[in-house]
Amino acid sequence: MKSQLTDLPEVFPDATVIVDSDGRVIQANAQAASLFGFDHRAMSGMLIQALFPGQPLTLPSRRPGPQDEAGQHLELVGSRSDSSRFPAVVAVMPVKIKQVTAAIISIRDLTDAQRTQFVLRRGVEILMSESRDRQALLRHLIRAREEERLRIAADIHDDAIQLMSAANFRLQQLRLRLRDEAVREILDKLQEAITLSSSHLRQLIFDLRPSGLEGGSLGPALRAYLEHMHSDTGITYRLDDRLSARAPDGIALLIYRNVLEVLANVRKHARARTVAVELHDVEDGYLIRIVDDGVGYDPADIEDRPGHLGLVLIRERAELAGGWCRIESSPGTGTTVEFWVPLGVSSTEPGKGHERAG
Amino acid sequence: MNPMFGQDGQRVLALITGIPDLTAAEVDQVTDAWKQVCPSDRAKAWARLVQTTTEQERYQILAAASVARREALATAHRLHRMDWAFWAAMSDAAAAVAAGTRIGRHYDTLTAPLATVMPPLAACPGRVPVSAADFTADDRRTSAVLSEGA
Repeated sequence: MKSQLTDLPEVFPDATVIVDSDGRVIQANAQAASLFGFDHRAMSGMLIQALFPGQPLTLPSRRPGPQDEAGQHLELVGSRSDSSRFPAVVAVMPVKIKQVTAAIISIRDLTDAQRTQFVLRRGVEILMSESRDRQALLRHLIRAREEERLRIAADIHDDAIQLMSAANFRLQQLRLRLRDEAVREILDKLQEAITLSSSHLRQLIFDLRPSGLEGGSLGPALRAYLEHMHSDTGITYRLDDRLSARAPDGIALLIYRNVLEVLANVRKHARARTVAVELHDVEDGYLIRIVDDGVGYDPADIEDRPGHLGLVLIRERAELAGGWCRIESSPGTGTTVEFWVPLGVSSTEPGKGHERAG
Repeated sequence: MNPMFGQDGQRVLALITGIPDLTAAEVDQVTDAWKQVCPSDRAKAWARLVQTTTEQERYQILAAASVARREALATAHRLHRMDWAFWAAMSDAAAAVAAGTRIGRHYDTLTAPLATVMPPLAACPGRVPVSAADFTADDRRTSAVLSEGA
């Protein structure tokens, strides 16, 4: 048998030894000798247990059963001639030649693989840690934006609009004293400009602090915005509000902000003729779907480029509230945005209250 | 355990590395199958997925979905198949494989398109397939409403 097996280990790329049913090495290839630090002739006659001391390496019996034929793969620790250790994956394949049972054992050193895995694991841990920092920053940014919006809205209401109303009132008084028709016409135009500016400022206040949402009436608030968008841009809309109950204020505001962010992208980039907004009750939460029929985009071109904070915020708002978001498009097929937020989570405390053990 | 994609990381990796081997016909098959899935069921599956996982698990699931989506996008480009339903399908499937049994019957909803081309990967290990009877009347009602809008 020995003569038949003599050259066999050399054809294997991995460290390989052939052992008899007593566990004695009949033949070892050069890779095995190098891996264990022996002269490969010196390995002949060694017990395989000496290479994997104290570990369960079951060899095929003299009368192999069906379980032997399948072979076995084990993760063991190998021992070199200098007593140093290394992790290894060991495959044991029984062979039978002329009624003699033996086993081909191939051994692969996992040291490099384990090091690589360790480095990868560390890399992933660092990425996850940075991702958590990024999420915390975004959460802060979202809250700060909301607070800033409220502050600006209050300032505009208490200061700019009051001043403009006062100016308008004084212009009216002045107009009563004027006799020159040409000057009165100029004054009329000035009053028109002030009235228009006041109207724009009131719209701005609504955008910053949508009062319609305070009663949870998301549908009417979105309809008002879509109507306004239609008169500005000509984009027609379909609003399908199937919510069975009004959303809590915090969630309604989150949904409203996200829909507006999506619609802002439709206005700026989509070149759409129509946009459909759907609101549904799904799984103790709200599913919002916005579909436009615009030019779409290739995600491979767009997503790697910086400067898409709006899309990032849409996703982050939904995820921080314990929901999910999908933004998909391809050239010529418009864009679909879907997001779902759970009912039970306040948008001001994203991420809390929705963790359950898996 | 794969630190990136969770406990079923090996299966997620098998899925991701299998995507570039798909043919154009298989991409079309997945795309068509994804469009057959009820949008409401898909939305519910994702809702269940984010509700039943911890922040750490969610990170791993979303990472799996994101990498699979990127791979699918690259494959679609190479095969000149630019329908986003394909990469959405692969993203759904990777998320489900990473989430495993914890999303119950919703697993099948998310992996159904994948099952048309990689049946062994789409099968959820250690779970008995469910029948239509396991769906509640409320599930069916919401599905019907959303299907109208799809």
